[in-house]
Amino acid sequence: MSVELKTRVQELIDSMINPAVAGHGGYVELIDVQDNRVYLQMGGGCQGCGAADITLKSGIERLIKEEIPEVTEVLDTTDHAAGNNPYYTPGKA
Amino acid sequence: MPPLASRLLLLLPTTTYRTEAFVEAATKLGVELVCASERPSTLEQLAPDSLVTLDFADPLASAETIARFARRRPIDAVVPVDDLTTVVAAAISQRLGLKANSLPAVSIARDKHAMRRCLADAGVPVPRFRLVRLADDPVARAEDVEYPCVLKPLSLSASRGVIRANDAREFVTAFRRIAAILETADASLPDDARALLVEEFIPGREVALEGLLIGGTLHVLAIFDKPDPLDGPFFEETIYVTPSRVPDTAQARIAAVTRDACSALELTEGPIHAELRENERGPFVLEVAARSIGGLCSRTLSFGTGLSLEELILCHALGRPLESLERERRAAGVMMIPIPRAGRLAAVHGADEAAAVDGVEEVAITMHPGQEVIPLPEGWQYLGFIFARAETPVTVEQALRQAHARLHFDIE
Repeated sequence: MSVELKTRVQELIDSMINPAVAGHGGYVELIDVQDNRVYLQMGGGCQGCGAADITLKSGIERLIKEEIPEVTEVLDTTDHAAGNNPYYTPGKA
Repeated sequence: MPPLASRLLLLLPTTTYRTEAFVEAATKLGVELVCASERPSTLEQLAPDSLVTLDFADPLASAETIARFARRRPIDAVVPVDDLTTVVAAAISQRLGLKANSLPAVSIARDKHAMRRCLADAGVPVPRFRLVRLADDPVARAEDVEYPCVLKPLSLSASRGVIRANDAREFVTAFRRIAAILETADASLPDDARALLVEEFIPGREVALEGLLIGGTLHVLAIFDKPDPLDGPFFEETIYVTPSRVPDTAQARIAAVTRDACSALELTEGPIHAELRENERGPFVLEVAARSIGGLCSRTLSFGTGLSLEELILCHALGRPLESLERERRAAGVMMIPIPRAGRLAAVHGADEAAAVDGVEEVAITMHPGQEVIPLPEGWQYLGFIFARAETPVTVEQALRQAHARLHFDIE
């Protein structure tokens, strides 16, 4: 079950998510699927990006849950502090 | 019992530090988020029900965009996360008929000159002030002001572009420097907004008050001391520690004056962040912003059984019951790590050693190697943040200073 779920998540990442985030020089790697929870890592422009949480929760998680309703949660395991080329960097207004 | 309303529009500038905290709070509360930014997300076309692009500089157009969106996906509350989005949030809330601060009130609070004028008219103590147009001759204007004074842009946040002048020569230099900052920071400003606020320098200690307005009543969530002197020429904020060590009577005056300021500005709902100077003449309001504390500083605040500031703000916006507005008993503080000089950040050393200081909870370096670093008054970022908790404010302050002393930044 988990292997099949993992394959479907990977297909979604390959076909829809990564082509989109590539627009900001980013990419997403599937780390694992356990107990219907998807564990991801973000890289490139997404790593350390000020908008990474929006991308993950309002973009990636939403897409994955819509396409694969048995997924309950998408979790980010990225070390964002190690990102050296984030697309957006935070600052004061 | 019917399900609680739970679709919330979060207005998140792409440069804000506040995204993670608000998204995490929404996730914990089970709130469905619609995130709007001023630049499109790469996933917007794939997730149009949760990602929206708005022109934050055009509040009325943004309100129309959201009104169309809300016809198919109703919005229960709108939350701006920082200064850039307070006015657009008010415009959207007004358009959708949601309970929120009025558009005129937030617009006044967002403009330092309009705010000073409103507060002064209401008898709230503020520094003496005047408006100076960027088109004016600074040499002539320098003759009209009292010294020492402080020059401020009308709408930039924190201490960006804020400079003290002790005499006419320094006034002219500061004027030209701020004009150059505005040229790059806010080139879209209309001509009538191209001006500076020049105000009396108020000596004394500075504090920040974090509050939540509920139905026009201000609830003080925390008063932060800023133990590093802020006497200029620039006003770099470094350490915030709460609870305040200011005597209780003075804290009560600070809270009372802030209440009067909110009332004069007609702010009624949601978070406020106020900055005040306090001396033997009493407290003076420097600013009341219709937003919560900036940067990552809200990590110093925990309420009731561990609710974050952002959870309180989202619960209040959605009309959910608030478990507690009582801050935790322990002292807490943050150091916004200042940028010592301009250049490019090559490396950071000592982060593990800094994090090992007793009482330090986290050292978050938010700039990345290779990034250009710009100090005040032109700059708009911090190198990072140090967070500490301990039994007393004194211990917290010591921990922050010890941790900072262990950090070393290679800037080339």
